[in-house]
Amino acid sequence: MSVMLYALSTCPYCRMAKKYLDESDVAYDILEVDLLEGAEKDDAVARVKELSGGTSFPVIVVGEEVIVGFNKKRMKELLGL
Amino acid sequence: MSASKPVRRRFHEGTTIADLKAYMEPFVASLGYRLNTETEFVDEVLASEIEILEATGDVYCPCRVRTGDPKEDVRIVCPCIPFHAEQFAAMRKCWCGLFIRADVVDGADLLGVIEEPEAGTEVDVPVCRVADLPAGSIRHIKIGKSDIALARVGDEFYALSNVCRHAFAPLADGVLEGHEVMCPWHGWRYDVRTGHTDHPGADVKTYPVTVRDGEVLVSVTVR
Repeated sequence: MSVMLYALSTCPYCRMAKKYLDESDVAYDILEVDLLEGAEKDDAVARVKELSGGTSFPVIVVGEEVIVGFNKKRMKELLGL
Repeated sequence: MSASKPVRRRFHEGTTIADLKAYMEPFVASLGYRLNTETEFVDEVLASEIEILEATGDVYCPCRVRTGDPKEDVRIVCPCIPFHAEQFAAMRKCWCGLFIRADVVDGADLLGVIEEPEAGTEVDVPVCRVADLPAGSIRHIKIGKSDIALARVGDEFYALSNVCRHAFAPLADGVLEGHEVMCPWHGWRYDVRTGHTDHPGADVKTYPVTVRDGEVLVSVTVR
């Protein structure tokens, strides 16, 4: 199952989510949206909006499911931890 | 999306975490919030805000992205409570948890818990302290997209739509006489308890109000 973490470099919850995934030995990709520039950033913001309906972070995509915010319970369920 | 013009810096060079706390605390208190009890977490968030301030000139939320559209970005200037009043009242904290509702004892319980209310949920939104609105007065409050007139008659509080059905004047600019507010533009009168006016079919919406621990809360439906 693919896991994608959309994050901001400034966001404490994104750091918590990253730490949780690392500690749980989950393989994932991460995109720090605020560190992107120009069209690349615009594309990433548009994708986050499409996935989550907003611009709040972190946005964690597990397979087909989307989690907005650091919701440990939901992550546990979806990742089978 | 094009890059917005640089924002004029709102804080002096070398702004510290203590400066931001001193600046934010009084007015989040009037909105019914206080700093999270988790001081380490608070310092982490505010340190991020200072980094953002250095880069952009203003203290944007570290957990939401700036899009470059000034109209959109202003909604995430910290404290962003007024723009998200219903959601935060239901979550009992702001998005990142820097601020928690004044009556939350342990902010640690709310860290990372994201339960945004679903559309249709009724939420009691804090709008002011009892002492902020003297008896016999009426003022405008905004909750999300709703413009509301909050009136105080004696010790009772009433909330009704701020928009007169005649010519859309702001009722909160009108004159409150007993339980009636008179529209400032053409004198239409509304009963603040019921929203009733003598003009047929032109009653305005009212909202339930409660007073708890010196705080005035208006009940709205999340859209």
